Amino acid sequence: MDTFLLLLDGLLVAAQPANLMFALIGVLLGTAVGVMPGIGPALTVALLLPISLSFGATGSLIMFAGIYYGGMYGGAISSILLNTPGETASIMTAVEGNKMARDGRGGKALGAAAIGSFVGAMVGTLGLAIVSPFMVRVALSFGPAEYFALMVLSFVTVSAAFGGSVARGLTALFIGLTIGLVGIDKLTGQARLSFGVPELRDNISIAIVAVGLFAIGETLYIASRTTAVVDKVEAIKGSVWLSLTDLKRCLAPYARGAGLGFLFGPLPTGGAEIPTFLSYSAERKAARGQAREEFEGPKGAIEGVAGPEAANNASAAGTLIPLLTLGLPTSATAAMMLAGFQQYGLQPGPLLFTNNPALVWGLVASLFIANIMLVVLNLPFVGVWVRLLMIPRPWLYAGILTFATLGIIGSQGSVFSLVLLLGFGLVGFVMRRFGYPLAPVLVGAILGPLAEEQLRRGLMINQGDWTFLWTSTIALVIYAVAAAAIFGPVLWRLLAKDKSKTAFAMDGD
Amino acid sequence: MTTEHQTVQETGPDRSPDARKATDLGGLAIAAGLFVLAALIAWDGSTYPIRRSYAQFGPEIFPYIVAAGLAIFGVATVIMGLRGGFPERENVNWPAVSWIVSAVVAKIVLLYSGAGFIIGAGALFGFAARGLGRKPLWLTVLVGVCVTTLLYVLFRHGLGLSLPAGPLERIIDLPFRR
Repeated sequence: MDTFLLLLDGLLVAAQPANLMFALIGVLLGTAVGVMPGIGPALTVALLLPISLSFGATGSLIMFAGIYYGGMYGGAISSILLNTPGETASIMTAVEGNKMARDGRGGKALGAAAIGSFVGAMVGTLGLAIVSPFMVRVALSFGPAEYFALMVLSFVTVSAAFGGSVARGLTALFIGLTIGLVGIDKLTGQARLSFGVPELRDNISIAIVAVGLFAIGETLYIASRTTAVVDKVEAIKGSVWLSLTDLKRCLAPYARGAGLGFLFGPLPTGGAEIPTFLSYSAERKAARGQAREEFEGPKGAIEGVAGPEAANNASAAGTLIPLLTLGLPTSATAAMMLAGFQQYGLQPGPLLFTNNPALVWGLVASLFIANIMLVVLNLPFVGVWVRLLMIPRPWLYAGILTFATLGIIGSQGSVFSLVLLLGFGLVGFVMRRFGYPLAPVLVGAILGPLAEEQLRRGLMINQGDWTFLWTSTIALVIYAVAAAAIFGPVLWRLLAKDKSKTAFAMDGD
Repeated sequence: MTTEHQTVQETGPDRSPDARKATDLGGLAIAAGLFVLAALIAWDGSTYPIRRSYAQFGPEIFPYIVAAGLAIFGVATVIMGLRGGFPERENVNWPAVSWIVSAVVAKIVLLYSGAGFIIGAGALFGFAARGLGRKPLWLTVLVGVCVTTLLYVLFRHGLGLSLPAGPLERIIDLPFRR
């Protein structure tokens, strides 16, 4: 029952007015960026990273988590009404959801999505609270060999699960590792890859990398396209409130979706893509009678919205388990949150739970609160969010660029950081154009220095003997999983040939 | 509320379908970039002074691993480039891309020359909006300066973020001084 006492303590932290405000800002921003295709929660966290320094650790992390959850809610809106998923997590929602909207049942689809998100996130967050303490106990026994293996696993799966090609994913990872090398070596004080430039000696801020790749790179990519994108926003028809029969049809999909999402979230398989796909196909297979007709016909089945939406929110909660207990990010947004921790000199992991329980449990408790805020914001006020889809793109992207450079110049204080920002923007643009995933760059840049530290610490303890990496059974098991992760996606892609049209900026939010 | 909004469409022919399977020069350029990066890291690593420690490996070990990885995937990139392993690409709308790049460059130049945040970011906003199809430029820049003035007050005086100040900022700062 320890967990519940800790959670109650956390609730006291989360219920402080300032933290409630941060949670509210987070869910508002998260929903907004979730709605708009092309901007995701990872970019938003990156944009806020420099500005949030004055908010304090607990406040800004609560806000970031709110953005993550809000993004999952908002993604459903653009999927259903626009047939253009705001995030990868909402791809499957678009399939049935947009059919329902065109059939005049858009309101119902939105309602089912919002309640599904609520159920999924609640189940997931509860699971997070229960599982984390056990993970912490396991993680405490890990040494350098195990941690290095875990990081290799994270590298490999993040690179293999995203994007169309394992080779491109791993190339992106090594580009990220290169970025992580720049600056003073922590163990010896040796300046690396800085070529006498003083700004490069103290490491490249992860905010510059993320904002450059995502904000600048994405804007360049949007501008570069010569074919016109015609977006047709469906009007919301029908009430967003579900009838009792609708609700009954959704119950089983909610349960299955939440379960799948929570199971897959913590695995380093790259976010919500896989569980939402599995949930959708499970609902399709389980459909009988009227539901079966709706799945196959042009009407659209409510189960196909309910399941995946519960799954993507549950997986967002699941993603936080390895992030908080091991310090391993398994999605782009989680990677940005890790950068958020590091900004305050905090390293997520088992020690965070013992040294900083107020922060960890405050964060977990705030997720419950954020979730309640989100369901309120999304059911009655859904029409307000739809208006965001009407912002003309020139103003929207000009605003994003302005905000991006404001954050960087304000936090770094040197104009040189803008030169770097433009450089990463161009790299991001080229990568997007040639089908490279961007998330591995971030994970490489953030985790690379940590992996190096573990490796060299291990080498030091073992006096330069490399075999320590392979003598631990746990580490060997982890390497086996990593190997499976490289070959798994190949199979996965054969199964999931049909990719609906998407306009997501980032891979794996 | 059924609306349609369109993104910019400027000049540029559709991509030719027969340009696919041929050697992808862009891909080969990326491979060349990866090789250069790998060589740079390896060369940088070789310049570190040799240290004796229990680890027997110093700060150069991880860079060497990364350089090797980059070189290996450089080879993979060459193969992708030769076999058409990259996804198809649309033709680039170069005018639009140039507007966006010059937007950031304009801000950098203006900030280095001491014009201050409001003018620098206003130019960035205006150029970027122009790049995505909004005309005329004087209007977008004007809108930009209004937006950035607001942002400056909000972030400089609301959140205490330090932003580069020029003549305009010094005037705005006056009423905030005590």
